[in-house]
Amino acid sequence: MVDLITKITKSVDFIGAFDPKIRTFDIIMKTANGSSYNSYVVRGSEGVAIMDTVKKEFSEDFFKRLEFMCDYEEIKYIVLHHLEPDHSGALIELMQKAPKAKLIISGRAVMMLKGLIKSDIEFEVANTGRIISLGDKTIEFLSTPFLHWPDTMSSYLHEEKVLFSGDVFGSHYYDERLFDDEVGDFSYAFKYYYDHIMRPFKQYVLQALKLYDTFDIKVIAPLHGPILRTNPQFYIDKYAQWSSEAKFRKHEFGKKMLSVFYMSSYDNTHLMAKKIMDGADSVEGVVASMYDLASLDEQNMIDLLEESDAIIIGSPTINGDAVKPAWDLLSCMAFLESNGKIGASFGSYGWTGEAPEMLHDRMRWLKFRLPVRPLKIKLIPTEDEQQSCFEFGVEIAEITMGKMVEMEMEI
Amino acid sequence: MVSVSLQDDNIRVKVPKGKTLRQVAATTGASMEFGCRVGDCITCVARVKSGMIYLSEKNEKELKALEILGGNVSQLRLMCQCYVRCEEGEIVISYAV
Ligand SMILES: Cc1cc2nc3c(=O)[nH]c(=O)nc-3n(C[C@H](O)[C@H](O)[C@H](O)COP(=O)(O)O)c2cc1C
Ligand code: FES
Ligand SMILES: [Fe+2]
Ligand SMILES: [Fe+2]
Repeated sequence: MVDLITKITKSVDFIGAFDPKIRTFDIIMKTANGSSYNSYVVRGSEGVAIMDTVKKEFSEDFFKRLEFMCDYEEIKYIVLHHLEPDHSGALIELMQKAPKAKLIISGRAVMMLKGLIKSDIEFEVANTGRIISLGDKTIEFLSTPFLHWPDTMSSYLHEEKVLFSGDVFGSHYYDERLFDDEVGDFSYAFKYYYDHIMRPFKQYVLQALKLYDTFDIKVIAPLHGPILRTNPQFYIDKYAQWSSEAKFRKHEFGKKMLSVFYMSSYDNTHLMAKKIMDGADSVEGVVASMYDLASLDEQNMIDLLEESDAIIIGSPTINGDAVKPAWDLLSCMAFLESNGKIGASFGSYGWTGEAPEMLHDRMRWLKFRLPVRPLKIKLIPTEDEQQSCFEFGVEIAEITMGKMVEMEMEI
Repeated sequence: MVSVSLQDDNIRVKVPKGKTLRQVAATTGASMEFGCRVGDCITCVARVKSGMIYLSEKNEKELKALEILGGNVSQLRLMCQCYVRCEEGEIVISYAV
């Protein structure tokens, strides 16, 4: 039997589900303390709104709580702040039980809905500024995309100053005491969630915080873990700090960071790396550094990638491929934001030489900006070729400093 | 050729008639984002700050996407759908919408 009442504010109740046993979330996250799928019901004088649902396996708990709080007839709106299955799992059943309810999703969710729910259902789109009324209660929507799905939005209950933030400010931390001032120490879970889910979208976090800043927030009601009611600003400030911090002091001096990563067996790619770095470093305003991939561990890679404005990767071609540490380096981009970072690749080769092209292609998929073609040199770089490495470095550094790139496309 | 400026990337490129903005992005290495590349997902929506008249008419997929987005969408286009339709002109694009 589930504990049936949990009052959040005067007209908001918790109707989510607890998942104390889960230990791995979304394949990528460890959840030592389990988690919760938070869902809420908002009651107004003219009906109720259901804010998100739960993971499918937990539908029973969800419906039990929901039925305790309201009749299906009363449900005027169902809001999904993003469509991920951990919150949309009970949607279909809910819509069958509450056929009069109107589903509200964001614009970017429209096409996803079709992919997720293989049937036609009716919905309405909410963009920033859209308001719905429950009589004496008003809910306003804010578009907060990419946190962490493209279709994420948030909403705000004006009369009680509650922010429904979606996964933003969430923690995988199961504790039925529910409120930040009553649960155990969840600070590690709050930070871990940010690092694994929000960190790749820092720019969008900052945009969302700007929007949140225009509201007076008394309670943050996220989709996982504790509800934040003691001092919401504390958690907002944490997100602001994590999203804007540059670990390295170079940025504070207004310099751009350019990192050359390489691996080399007979020093040919190493020599190229050195010349590229020298070229880049000769450009005013750029600090260039080079790193041997053979001895970088993953956390260092992630930090260096995050701090670098430009990333140049060198690998020899070995058995028709780039070396594994180069791929490992690029795999770390899954934890980071690559939009706007400049990328380039190079390498020495013996006969086929596909490694730099392959790295270039991979970087394109990872949304790097790739202003120059890969640089390949057959075996040992000659004096002239070393000079072209130097110029390659200069060119990338100048583009990093904001040089306008002029090009012409072929017909 | 039409001069296309991609403001966020500091790129200016001369583009022949008929090329889509997706081809422009691929050639220049611009950091514009694409998802489905066929006009369904709205990922590639961008703002045409000037020179809209040098681009193709909005097709059905674009009209549908803009309707979904709602609000003031007069400058917005899907970069995977629109193409340069003139021999001469100047277009300025920003990815922020
Ligand atoms: C943390 C996380 C990140 C995701 N990132 C992407 C993405 O960048 N692009 C994408 O197309 N789908 C993304 N997805 C969606 C998954 O690919 C999608 O849910 C897929 O159906 C999962 O397949 P599976 O059931 O085999 O795990 C992401 C999902 C999660 C949970
Ligand atoms: S990339 Fe999906 S609509 Fe253009
Ligand atoms: Fe999510
Ligand atoms: Fe979630």
